[in-house]
Amino acid sequence: MAGGGFDAPEVAQGKGNKHKKSKAAGVRIDMTPMVDVIMLLLTFFMLTTTLSAPQLMKVSLPKGDVKDKVKVDMGNVLYVRVSDKGNIYFAQGRSDGSESEMKKVEVKNIATELEKIYAVNNNLLLLLKFDRKMKYNVMSDVFDEISRAKIERRYAFLKMEDADLQKIVAAGG
Amino acid sequence: MRKVREIKKPDIKIDMTPMVDVIMLLLTFFMLTATFRAAESEAVEVALPQSIYSDPDNKMRESDVMTLSLTKDGDIFVDVDNYKIREKIFGDQFAIGLYHPDSTSQSTVMQTGKAGDKEIKRKVVVMNKAQFDKVLVDLKNSLRSVTGNKQASFQVVVKGDKDVSYGVFEDLMASLHESDNKIFSLVTMIKSESKKE
Repeated sequence: MAGGGFDAPEVAQGKGNKHKKSKAAGVRIDMTPMVDVIMLLLTFFMLTTTLSAPQLMKVSLPKGDVKDKVKVDMGNVLYVRVSDKGNIYFAQGRSDGSESEMKKVEVKNIATELEKIYAVNNNLLLLLKFDRKMKYNVMSDVFDEISRAKIERRYAFLKMEDADLQKIVAAGG
Repeated sequence: MRKVREIKKPDIKIDMTPMVDVIMLLLTFFMLTATFRAAESEAVEVALPQSIYSDPDNKMRESDVMTLSLTKDGDIFVDVDNYKIREKIFGDQFAIGLYHPDSTSQSTVMQTGKAGDKEIKRKVVVMNKAQFDKVLVDLKNSLRSVTGNKQASFQVVVKGDKDVSYGVFEDLMASLHESDNKIFSLVTMIKSESKKE
């Protein structure tokens, strides 16, 4: 048997080594503490590297010229307006160009609200209107929630018009 | 001596050298990577917003990255990771471009020498809107001529300070759109789900 045949000489060798050992006074350095420290350092650097890796959220702007007009059925749009104070309002468009009552939505509820609305109409286009004085943080939060919602993402960034501002003021700023 | 060893202590010694070798290599690798990342992002420091969502297919490239940093004072810094292109466009290997989109105020970077709270150690090239738009196009073109790849394009990443006003970002988007950089990424820091509520 290969196993037995392999073991046998090893034992014999071990016995034979005894004589050699006394001769060659092998200096053995205990590496355990060093390995411990290195392991700690390794863990530290591995964790730090992972944590500092930034995340990316992809944004794609529509193709074509800035002046290009895209025709959209107004019944298939959802206005997302954010005031300078960071309040978020949803309003659904109607085919005749009017829109539904503005509804205030908390940041943390955006994803679920969107999923609810998209369950009814799956072809919606999000029209994002952010106030220029609003904080970037709010924009990234809103975008984060939109990205997290399990919907087919179609969006456009639009300029905030005076009419939008009036609507926001009417809804409470 | 002989009796003790044979009966009680088989005296198993594991040679740790190969393991230590491998660990040492890993350690060196991670140390270098960590230092490298930190040094690269040092040019302009911004407080990134946090996000939960991250696109698993969308990772920061190792090279050919154009970084647009929005500081809380409303300045936009444009930087690329290729020193040859920087020299070509800004006339200095370590120069960084600065554009202040808000025409009603002035950028304080040139007076104070600081972006946010951090001192700028690199040469700053100040641009107006027309120059900034041109630089965005020129950067892409020079990448193509430097690399010799006609399809090459930068990965555009936007590092916005969480306190900068959205207007700055809107102006930046307009410039990006005009310069045909239709796809870009927002850089954020990871936020754990539990922290959110």
